Amino acid sequence: MRLLEYEAKQILRDRGFEIPRGIVVRRAGELDQALPSVSFPAMVKAQVPIGGRGKAGAVIRVEDARAARDAAERLLCGHVRGYPVEALLLEEAVSIRGEFFLAVTYDTVEKQAILLASGAGGVDVESPGQASPDRMVRRVLDVRRGLHEFEARQVAAKVGLAGRDLLGFAGVVRQAADAFLGLDCTLLEINPLARTDEGRFVVADAHLEVDEDALYRQPHLETGYRIPRREASGRAPTEFERRAAEVDAIDHRGVAGRVIEFDGNLGLLIGGGGASLTAFDAIRRHGGRPANYCEIGGNPSVRKVAELTKLILSRPGVERIAVIMNVVSNTRVDLIARGVIQGSLEAGRDPGRTIAAFRVPGSWEEEGFTLLRKYGVEFCDRGVSIDEASRRAVARQA
Amino acid sequence: MSLFIAVRVDPERCRAGQPCTACIGVCPVAIFEGRDGLAGVIGENEDECILCDLCLARCPTDAIAIHKLYADEIRTGACVQGSPR
Repeated sequence: MRLLEYEAKQILRDRGFEIPRGIVVRRAGELDQALPSVSFPAMVKAQVPIGGRGKAGAVIRVEDARAARDAAERLLCGHVRGYPVEALLLEEAVSIRGEFFLAVTYDTVEKQAILLASGAGGVDVESPGQASPDRMVRRVLDVRRGLHEFEARQVAAKVGLAGRDLLGFAGVVRQAADAFLGLDCTLLEINPLARTDEGRFVVADAHLEVDEDALYRQPHLETGYRIPRREASGRAPTEFERRAAEVDAIDHRGVAGRVIEFDGNLGLLIGGGGASLTAFDAIRRHGGRPANYCEIGGNPSVRKVAELTKLILSRPGVERIAVIMNVVSNTRVDLIARGVIQGSLEAGRDPGRTIAAFRVPGSWEEEGFTLLRKYGVEFCDRGVSIDEASRRAVARQA
Repeated sequence: MSLFIAVRVDPERCRAGQPCTACIGVCPVAIFEGRDGLAGVIGENEDECILCDLCLARCPTDAIAIHKLYADEIRTGACVQGSPR
């Protein structure tokens, strides 16, 4: 879950990072109260969950209150790359003598946490050709023991710092490693980490992403910082999506969730090693209008599949549901079939009419097919492609 | 009431109270529980049965029968003869 800049900065401030003084404004009407507390020059920063805000015109430097008001009013009524601007951060400008890049994340190829640091931070540090790879310091972070002080100093030395700067930068590196591990982050990026004229290291911008599967370990984000759970898109989940997440949380077995609501009329139960996107696209290509995206797999319980089926069928206008997965070895076909049939029946629907397509080949498929036959559900095996199954599902909608 | 699977424990044969918790301990989807000195079936979990037959294999008295309601097939300890108990 990606946090907005001001949320990330609140958390980092509480963990000892130096953050510029700022205030959050959500409506133009709040400016009268907010502006007197802002030191100028200042930055007016749209709070949207994307990078490259500066280049998109969503970060504006202002010299006085009047310019701040103009910029704020302009940003608050607009969008930045499709995202509505629902909040602004008005923040004192930092006098920057040097810009650094600092990040902690997971290398998904090497399957370990890594720390990245560079003496060349700024807007283009991640662009190919802008940051020379040999100037990026990379160090593996042991997630069990964290980062020792001497290791943080080694990173600072490799970045090219010495003396007080080395000690100051190393302190931030260690804080970043601690925050990354303590908050169950998948990404903590500070760019730029600004060195001020006075030699202090200040977090000028921060990007925090918290592992959604670990949010239960971070209840203070919601209760303390009032950061609502939100989708990767940055928006708050709809009621339908929230209820789907509750279904997925019924027990630990498998996945029957990760639902995104759409405005169509064909319910989808899809999954299997990336097949959910393939099936979703195929449904659309054949003229279907999905009511939802979702992912199922990893052998969810019958109850979870049944509850998700009921939930999808509860949406107004959704008469049918397509069940399409890749060939699965870790998900039992018969258990998925039980869940979908049970969900249809509990929703008061006839499974044979409601299930527009059932294409889940894999383990225990013969058992599943026996079950589907019993309830009059049309099904197909791996001889029928995901694309063809999608076409058939859409055709049954017509 | 379950739709797909009915699990039955013959009370005449069940030795759960003597003490035997073989089925309760072995079932991966928690279908069994101790009840009045016998093994009882948790009805809401019956449809979660994954047909692993572990309960059939472990029950020392062949007291358990699993009825696949959609296939009219009943599985008992005789189906898993030779399995370690």
